[in-house]
Amino acid sequence: MDLRLSDEQRAVRATFAALFRKESTPQRVRIAESTGLDKDLWRTYSAIEALSIGIPSDYGGSDGSLLELALVAEEAGRCLAPIPVAETAAAARLLARLGEKELLAPVLNGSSIVSLATRIAPVGDQLLVDGAIADAVLALDGKALLYVTRPDGQPTIPRRNLGGLALARWDVDTTGRSLAEGAQARTEFAAALDEVRVLRAAALVGLALEAVHIGSEYTKVRKAFGQPIGMYQAVAHPFADSLSALDGAQLLVHKACWALEGGQDDGPALATMAFVFAAETAYQATQHSLHVHGGYGFTEEYDIQLYYRRAKAWAVAFADPQRELLVLADRRFGPALTGGH
Amino acid sequence: MDFAEPANWGRIRSDAEAFVAEHVTREVIENERRTGDGVERALTRKLGERGWVAPTWPVEEGGAGLDPFEAAVLLGALRKGGVPTIGPGTTMLPANAIKATGSDELKARILPSVAAGETLICLGYTEPAGGSDVFACATRSEQDGDEWIVNGQKIFTTFAHVADYCFLLTRSQVGSVGTRGLTMLLVPLNSPGIEIRAVHTMGHERTNVVFYNDVRVADTNRIGEAHQGFSVMRSALEAEQNVAPGSRTQWIARDTLEFARTQPGPDGAPLINDDLVRERLARMAMEAEVADLLGLRVAFLDSEGEKPGPVSALFGPESYVRASAAAIDIAGLSGLLDWTDPEAPVDGGLDFHYRSAVATTIYGGSSEVLRSLIVENRLGLPRSRPRR
Repeated sequence: MDLRLSDEQRAVRATFAALFRKESTPQRVRIAESTGLDKDLWRTYSAIEALSIGIPSDYGGSDGSLLELALVAEEAGRCLAPIPVAETAAAARLLARLGEKELLAPVLNGSSIVSLATRIAPVGDQLLVDGAIADAVLALDGKALLYVTRPDGQPTIPRRNLGGLALARWDVDTTGRSLAEGAQARTEFAAALDEVRVLRAAALVGLALEAVHIGSEYTKVRKAFGQPIGMYQAVAHPFADSLSALDGAQLLVHKACWALEGGQDDGPALATMAFVFAAETAYQATQHSLHVHGGYGFTEEYDIQLYYRRAKAWAVAFADPQRELLVLADRRFGPALTGGH
Repeated sequence: MDFAEPANWGRIRSDAEAFVAEHVTREVIENERRTGDGVERALTRKLGERGWVAPTWPVEEGGAGLDPFEAAVLLGALRKGGVPTIGPGTTMLPANAIKATGSDELKARILPSVAAGETLICLGYTEPAGGSDVFACATRSEQDGDEWIVNGQKIFTTFAHVADYCFLLTRSQVGSVGTRGLTMLLVPLNSPGIEIRAVHTMGHERTNVVFYNDVRVADTNRIGEAHQGFSVMRSALEAEQNVAPGSRTQWIARDTLEFARTQPGPDGAPLINDDLVRERLARMAMEAEVADLLGLRVAFLDSEGEKPGPVSALFGPESYVRASAAAIDIAGLSGLLDWTDPEAPVDGGLDFHYRSAVATTIYGGSSEVLRSLIVENRLGLPRSRPRR
């Protein structure tokens, strides 16, 4: 039992915290809303070998674990970094598990963005989370795990959306290249989705912690009826519930990383818990943090609205959190014997 | 990071389970449910023989030399097995305060018999008018030679009727307010002038109102300096806030799951197959995992000397209350049956949880007080309660 981060993990966290503070300012986050990607940040992110962190050294990586990636995702979340973090990291690790050295090389040097099509459906039938910026996606379609490259002429401008996501559809009917079939395809793709759950959870924890910081700082300086509004318990106390839940969400993320990495039976259930709990907590934290700003909170010039919008968008980019509770039930209690309710 | 249980936890748990199998009869369990005493004298002595009353104290001081994690594992297993742990567990708060600030004579006189399970100490903080504001204390103490004379009234003095001493907060300086002018006294409960009256709770616990009328207490039973009771109290209060009462959320999550696996729903099929039930069971399991992790971290940080604020003490009980309400909704009428009914599923557990849960958001510091402490300590928000 040891709940401390190692010195190396602390160093990873500090490095990325500094990077995002410098290169993912609210101004740059706003600019990237229309493009879905801050290209300069992506270049820096690739140059410091962020994408290699969770990859074995045999494949050109630095042998880090899912936990290091979660620390990066949390710091990215704190600054709303307009780059693809979760699906790309999971996709890179999936390529490594499948032994796809050649496909992985351009991913690790940042020249190719490979993401995931997280719905288990044909690629052409879904809005892709990184659709406007990805060069290829990995998808589970029927029996095969496919590598689908972006067809020529597909949109590079995201659909306008709530959370600054690089959403786009690809008009593809080609099946792409099969990397695995049958049980192996399903197992490996499911493992990648669990990593997305954990990394999205980590990003939401970072996002919500910063939202609580922004909201609570505002309540120290904003006065009403002659005193800082943070002195009113109705204003202050919801922050305590958010902090408690965020401590819990962070612990769930860390435990899920540890359990998935070690192949523990409960890893997938913990990953689902981390996702649901982080998603719900991030919404509550950003909702209150925006609310305490009064009317200013929903003006565009205040940063808190950027957090509020992404708290929802970054969660449903993967799944409806409420529906994920049924996934958790299957994982913890076994599948329902009849057709459900 | 490593969330794996050290091997010795399993050993501690099985030692506790062996103890339970040997000593906790159905009669012990039912007696506790009927009386709500929170302590069983003979059983507490047997805990003492193993060093389990003061498990974190060194063996030579009558403890078991366990670290905070191991002690939490031990107490969790004992409580789960039906050992009444409120009495011995509560005794350790003043015992640790005595250890930290008491005179050598007092320590030598009290602590060995506490560790042996012979001496029980209840907490005399709360007064009828004070509630969460413990430093509104109005119970008076006045020094008279080498004695103190105590007059006043305390409420919610749980297990006072079976304890040996009360760790009593008194106002010793006339005209002082708030945290100043307080003195902590260890009052023998067989002293003349003490009257104890029962108060029964909806959770089948017994607590008490205790009246103090010209009660004489030897100055040798003073803990810490006269009029400096606040610093003595503070160390005991911090211990209470940082040690969440374990995750009862996990307990009710398991009871409700067992209920859903074994009981039919409105359509006759087991409840566990209904998505509306599964969703709520999943939420309970998730919140129970969070409550356990936050509690584990408290023990971990305690061993590292850090304090994360009372987030575990806030989330654990609040999640327990939420789960206890959801469990009753799921269970319907048969969940309302109490443990004395032979047909009550899971030994009447759901009725029991719903009755018990609410108090947990109050007695270790009400949720509102904890929220204030969290936002003040972690976010630097201004204090909202008036200063005196």
